[in-house]
Amino acid sequence: MMSKLSALRGNIGWDKGVGILLLVTLIVGSLITPDFATTSNLGFVVQDIGEIMIIALPMAFLIIAGEIDLSVGSALSLVSSTIGYSFAHGISFGFAILIGICVGAATGALNGFLVNYLGLQSLAVTIGTMGLFRGLCFVLLGNTPVNQLPDFWTGLGVNNIPHTFLPWSFVLIAPLVFFAWILLHHTKIGRWTFVTGISAEAARFSGIPVKRFKFLMYVATGVMVSLAAIVYTLRFASASPDSAMGYELTTIAAVLFGGVSIAGGFGTMWGVIFSVIELGAIRSVLQLINFSSNALQMVSGALLLFSVAFPKVIELLKSRREARVKKPSPSLASMRSVE
Amino acid sequence: MKGSSRHMQKNKLKAVLATAAIAAVAFVGAPTQAHAAGLKIAIMPKAVNNGYFTAWNQGAQKACKEIKATCTYLGPTEATGPAQVQFINQVIQKKYDVLVISAADQNAIVPSLNKAKAAGIKIVTSDADVATSAASSRVVAVLPAASARIGTAEVDWIAAATGGKGKIAVLSAAATAANQNAWIAAMGPYLTQKYPNMSWVGGTVDKSVFYGNDDPTTSTAQFDAILSQYPDVAGIIAPTTVGVLAAAQEKKAKSATVHVTGLGLPSQMAPYIEDGTVEKVGLWNPIDLGYVAVYAGAAAKAGTFTGKVGSSFKAGAKSYSVVAGGIAYLGDPFTFDKSNIETFKTIY
Amino acid sequence: MKRLLSIREVPIFGVLVLFFGVAALGNHALFSASGLHDLLFTSSIICLLACAETLIIVMKHIDLSISSTIGFSSYIIGKNASNGHGLLYCLILGVIFGLAVGAVNGFLVAYLKLPSLVVTLGTLYLVRGLFNQVARGDFINSDKVPHLLTYMADHTFVKVPYLFLVALAMAIVVGFVMRHLRSGRDLYAIGSNLPAAHLAGIAVEKRTFWAFTAAGGIAGLGGAILLARFGQAQANSGLGIELSVVSACVVGGVAIAGGIGTIYGAMIGALLLQTIVMALGALGVSQFWQGVVNGALLIAAISLDKILSSRSQRTQIMRVSA
Repeated sequence: MMSKLSALRGNIGWDKGVGILLLVTLIVGSLITPDFATTSNLGFVVQDIGEIMIIALPMAFLIIAGEIDLSVGSALSLVSSTIGYSFAHGISFGFAILIGICVGAATGALNGFLVNYLGLQSLAVTIGTMGLFRGLCFVLLGNTPVNQLPDFWTGLGVNNIPHTFLPWSFVLIAPLVFFAWILLHHTKIGRWTFVTGISAEAARFSGIPVKRFKFLMYVATGVMVSLAAIVYTLRFASASPDSAMGYELTTIAAVLFGGVSIAGGFGTMWGVIFSVIELGAIRSVLQLINFSSNALQMVSGALLLFSVAFPKVIELLKSRREARVKKPSPSLASMRSVE
Repeated sequence: MKGSSRHMQKNKLKAVLATAAIAAVAFVGAPTQAHAAGLKIAIMPKAVNNGYFTAWNQGAQKACKEIKATCTYLGPTEATGPAQVQFINQVIQKKYDVLVISAADQNAIVPSLNKAKAAGIKIVTSDADVATSAASSRVVAVLPAASARIGTAEVDWIAAATGGKGKIAVLSAAATAANQNAWIAAMGPYLTQKYPNMSWVGGTVDKSVFYGNDDPTTSTAQFDAILSQYPDVAGIIAPTTVGVLAAAQEKKAKSATVHVTGLGLPSQMAPYIEDGTVEKVGLWNPIDLGYVAVYAGAAAKAGTFTGKVGSSFKAGAKSYSVVAGGIAYLGDPFTFDKSNIETFKTIY
Repeated sequence: MKRLLSIREVPIFGVLVLFFGVAALGNHALFSASGLHDLLFTSSIICLLACAETLIIVMKHIDLSISSTIGFSSYIIGKNASNGHGLLYCLILGVIFGLAVGAVNGFLVAYLKLPSLVVTLGTLYLVRGLFNQVARGDFINSDKVPHLLTYMADHTFVKVPYLFLVALAMAIVVGFVMRHLRSGRDLYAIGSNLPAAHLAGIAVEKRTFWAFTAAGGIAGLGGAILLARFGQAQANSGLGIELSVVSACVVGGVAIAGGIGTIYGAMIGALLLQTIVMALGALGVSQFWQGVVNGALLIAAISLDKILSSRSQRTQIMRVSA
């Protein structure tokens, strides 16, 4: 019986664990407060997590491939500022959005170039581009946010699809999520991502053009960031140089909480999707039962720690049981490589 | 006939009693405007964990007790629009009656405020308002004093400290801070007009503003930047409590001679006023801002106050009326100097 | 000359001097005793935290939680001082708090083998949330700051600010440990090649645990410096400083890839970053452009480091293990 249980535990990866946690949150949430499971509240939650969900998709790819990008929040703000700036200078809004997407792709290209062709460490260099992009926002908009955006567009940002509780942004986000899932788990690109994350050397030897691949991954991140920026700008009906502060750490935390390993080469898109929804749902439930925002911050930290500690503890307990059964063999093979 | 006169007497008695009863109710009801008891009011600062807003909430809670409403203090840990929006959604979800809010971002929260308004929640901004173009999203804004008054008052204070001459710089909050920008805009023409012997370090007021982002580290760094760029600066105006505190502290640390003034919490600035680092700062009473705002919201919910220009409402004993822009002003800021800092430093 | 250039820290020091010189040419006030004083004074906190972060980064780990630790510690020290306790008592409390946070990080990273980015991100949020919950809207005012701290903040010893001297002293201690003591040099080995470190018999878990604990303790001590520097403590104290510290280390040659770099380099990196901030201010560069310049310079510094390190890396590793 015990061995069956532990076998079961071993098979449940953390990504499925997040899914179960989400289910539990939804059930418990609707029980302990009548305000949670209403269509209007669920609509709020979906709107809340929209931008993070869009950015988490490429971030998952990057982290699985062994890289990271800390500049996404500032890049989002830059795209938003560009859209606002263009519109305020007479360019039609639709065209301003196109310009924004180009700027987003450019930010991704810069990161991609620095990381892959100059060979710089992605953690350090994206701290630099984070500051660079944020600075450019202020160069563009100075201290005057743009707030007179066309009603048609801001209506899309704020209103729900008629007769549903889903915001219009859902029309953009749902296909992106689906596409990302297919891409990671059912295409060559997804396989390349995992191989590159496990070993860049092995990837190169198996014919993957690693440099170009990761470069394009960063460009794609930039494009996704610009889509998130559009959702953000429309939802808040304004473009401001101090947008999306701190979004990079929130997104990375969500991706890691979804079971993606920071060491690369491991993770599932399901885990990330569940994670983003779960973090939004938990926040909603706790807020509705009047948890202070300070307590919410502590919960975020604790959840993150728990998400990596729990699978590790299970794994250690399992291996200890196995070690008791077999004789321990002190050799190179028994030494774990640290993540 | 005897029966009918007795009948009439009975009716008369009834009428008198009824009138007396109505009069009694009206008399008792009059001083406290007819507020429904048991209102649910949300008090939302730009960010919790901020001493200024703790005082603001104090005032709000006091008003809530007087009108027998349940008030909840809630808000984000970082003062950003998107963070506040999450809490505004919560307020809509939990069907509060009134929302008293200090806008962390004058644009980003407007769509959510409109949603709250559509859900029947009465919204009063207090301390920090939404953009002028979005004034319809709230019933009224309860602000300390007209921007012109606050900005010009600060120029008066620095002029008093520098003796009416010298070059002046401004150490502000975030570059996008609407309140500060409005106050600074009022400072420019006033200084040129009233103090011909004073000027701005950068030529115009726009070129003389340094942004401390309401962060002690950045404010201190910008104070140093002012001194190193303009070593002959005579006075620095810091229209933000974080900025003026950082400026005072850095002035003391470097034994600088530049005069410092601005908007400061008396409890925070007391040591610097007492030891002479700073001659005078000013501020309105955030407790009043919270107090008055709650009354405005309750009156709006009761239907006795619409927020239209010219209408008025009562808060406690005083009456406040609405001027252009849908704003109710409290009055000029208090100033704090050596003569009164003792009293005020324990209040807020 | 070639040998001098191959020392990692020298080119960075050169850039620092160059930058300072260019800025001083633009604004003479900078190139004076008071300009130098300001530079040292303003950098003292990041220099002190760089001591902590260097210990971690050379092991190929990272510690993002130091900003919450230093902030909360400054509040603990200030609050206890304002309640009447002596300075030594308050300092001990702050350091113990820092050690505790460091120990939590250390346990999770060393013994549970959890990735340090995730762990310290988690403790960053956890400690900040706890701090906010405890402090609420409370703040420690300047008149409650212990007198010795205020004295140190306001005075200098041989023209060098006391606060910087504290950071320098810590750097000398940490630098000595990392270069001359077995326990310190092991950190480099762990960062360069973990399996090899295991094979060489290094007590990897123990070293990692104590490095994180020490880093936390240094951040705890840093709370006193933070309190002295700003004369106040409140819920946002120290917020966001972790990325500046990591930048300072990286610019100073402590590579994120681990196994290389010294505390002296990190301090030069911190001074360089501060020089840039001061120079931009002194030269009148619009504040709106400062963010751009800062970011661009950080990227330039990392690129420069990459070019130079690929040349000198072999020499350096051989020197460290000699």
